[in-house]
Amino acid sequence: MADVQTTSQAILVVGGGMSGITAALEAAEAGYDVVLVERNPYLGGRVTQLYQYFPKLCPPNCGLEINFRRMRQNPKVRFFTMAEVASISGREGDYDVTVKMAPRYVNEKCTCCGKCAEACEAEIDNPFNYGMDKIKAAYLPHEFAFPMRYILDPSIVGTDQGKKCLDACEYGAIDPDMKETTFDLKVGAIVWAAGWNPYDAAKIDYYGFGEYKNVITNVMMERMAAPNGPTGGRILRPSDKKEPKNIAFIQCAGSRDENHLPYCSGICCLASLKQTTYVRERKPDCDIAIFFIDIRALDRLEDFYVKVQADPKVAFIKSKIANITEDEGTGNLILEGENTRTGEQILMNFDMVVLATGMVPNRIELDAAPDVTHDEYGFFTNNPEQPGIYGAGCVRTPTDVASSVQDATAGALKAIQSIARR
Amino acid sequence: MENKVNYDPSFAEEVFRNVDAGDEIKMCMNCGVCAGSCPLREHMDYPPRQIFALIRAGKREEVLGSQSIMLCTSCYTCAVKCPRSIPVIDVMHGLAHYALKQGYVPRKDTAAFGGEFWKQVYRLGRIDEKDLPRRVFFSGGLIEGVRAMLNFMDIGIKLMLHRRMKLLPERKIKGIQSLRKMLDKAERLGKGGAIA
Ligand SMILES: Cc1cc2nc3c(=O)[nH]c(=O)nc-3n(C[C@H](O)[C@H](O)[C@H](O)COP(=O)(O)OP(=O)(O)OC[C@H]3O[C@@H](n4cnc5c(N)ncnc54)[C@H](O)[C@@H]3O)c2cc1C
Ligand code: SF4
Ligand code: SF4
Ligand code: SF4
Ligand code: SF4
Repeated sequence: MADVQTTSQAILVVGGGMSGITAALEAAEAGYDVVLVERNPYLGGRVTQLYQYFPKLCPPNCGLEINFRRMRQNPKVRFFTMAEVASISGREGDYDVTVKMAPRYVNEKCTCCGKCAEACEAEIDNPFNYGMDKIKAAYLPHEFAFPMRYILDPSIVGTDQGKKCLDACEYGAIDPDMKETTFDLKVGAIVWAAGWNPYDAAKIDYYGFGEYKNVITNVMMERMAAPNGPTGGRILRPSDKKEPKNIAFIQCAGSRDENHLPYCSGICCLASLKQTTYVRERKPDCDIAIFFIDIRALDRLEDFYVKVQADPKVAFIKSKIANITEDEGTGNLILEGENTRTGEQILMNFDMVVLATGMVPNRIELDAAPDVTHDEYGFFTNNPEQPGIYGAGCVRTPTDVASSVQDATAGALKAIQSIARR
Repeated sequence: MENKVNYDPSFAEEVFRNVDAGDEIKMCMNCGVCAGSCPLREHMDYPPRQIFALIRAGKREEVLGSQSIMLCTSCYTCAVKCPRSIPVIDVMHGLAHYALKQGYVPRKDTAAFGGEFWKQVYRLGRIDEKDLPRRVFFSGGLIEGVRAMLNFMDIGIKLMLHRRMKLLPERKIKGIQSLRKMLDKAERLGKGGAIA
């Protein structure tokens, strides 16, 4: 199915988040052929799961929509979803790449009529909402998905449920015989823009994530605040679906910690500041406490910090929380620590806790790949000994969208130079 | 400028030079996890973070005269959690040894507390937060003990409300025998608590 002819003049971009999309478009608009591969069934990466962007509090979808339009208009970019790189060999100007594509079981005839989902009774954990709700096993990944096309979960393919979906589709869009496919590419340069994963909060055992229901993470909070999220945009405690009267944000949950991620994840202070506005616009009487080591809102982003500081309902308490216990009867959480400004012990009770977890970069983990270099924390470093393959965005440093986009533009230029050198 | 306050790093330098593991505090980022998790924090005049901050502030008397450095029982709670991997225990012990060398002595109640803490770990393999103060208070005699205990009631009730102090006496942990072997060895090595 994938008939992809490329030459050593083409550029491969791995990862279709804001960084990858930017690198692909910048290179294509400069006249180069680009192939973009994305593992998810849709493009956009992690920002598709954010409710709003700091500091302007605008929805990520407008920016994404503009980029998707640029992509549709530009025949120089070809993109593949549910696709991953299986191997890379060669060197600058002359790479051979194998791409592996997982079957979607739904072809381009899909009109998104939704009949398959209606017919399907099987449900799966919804990956888009970090498992906070269930979704039919025949589903659209999310309402703004690009490409706008349904997908069948492999668990129902070849079962009664799969048959029901097949029978329900009036457009011949479901194809249970789809198989994993691979195809080979020749490219002259590669941009690695595979982004990040949230740090696994369960590893910070003294915060009880996974054990105490009302301890959630910042990425889950983004989904809760989103109208197309698991709670329809309402902020509710997972244990009893009640509106919390007070919420604690714990900064540096797993970041700046030699036992977890030794580095600062860069964006989680701003993310929590932003999330206080989510809470306040929905529940003006909800009290919020932010527990921090120090707030890292740099340059122009400090204005946003100052704005949130002025909110009388938001308390800033200088303390890295040392322990959380759950009150079994109420599901409330008891936070312990030391207020390092006053030296007083903290023993406070909250309805809900949000852990500001950090970012872990997606490294190149392939059996066959050129020797790329990473820093001591696993972030991609551009290796002068290995020109031709460049990192872009959060694989290089944990950062926000604006910086990722800048970095990806730089990555595209480097890739173009690699081709021009040949 | 009048009212100028000079920054005096001399005590910090003294600590870096003379105290075992003393230079580790350079890594401290003042986060408060140690102070917030130390099981003895209610009994400490300055929990670990404050000790480190005082060293930086040049407060020699407060630090070397502090009962906290004598009280630390090497329970490791702080050390396993410290985000900067600072061997908090080694620093606390280093400071205690240095203070003793400089002629500072632990107060009577501190010594009694440390002794009881040690015995209880030996007996149960854990700390019974209700029983520990009782034993400490009565180590000075009955009347004094009752008075001290009444003073402590407030904290006890607060702790109980937060389920930190259980109403029933703590039971022994599994594998107490092997823990005791370890403790015996530690004692032989002369590391059994800061005041040993
Ligand atoms: C709680 C939270 C809130 C945030 N809020 C904001 C905000 O308000 N404003 C802001 O500017 N930033 C915010 N950020 C940061 C923002 O999410 C990142 O800057 C952005 O996602 C970076 O984009 P990226 O393309 O580098 O990575 P990603 O978004 O992670 O995209 C990487 C893409 O690569 C794909 N991929 C991964 N591995 C492979 C592979 N092997 N093969 C193929 N594809 C692969 C992934 O599926 C993904 O689609 C927030 C972050 C967090 C944690
Ligand atoms: S796969 Fe068929 S039934 Fe399902 S949404 Fe697409 S067109 Fe409709
Ligand atoms: S951005 Fe803030 S919360 Fe995130 S690691 Fe850095 S200091 Fe901690
Ligand atoms: S936990 Fe470590 S870094 Fe934090 S205050 Fe204590 S010693 Fe310093
Ligand atoms: S090791 Fe000492 S300072 Fe650290 S938590 Fe235990 S008693 Fe407190």
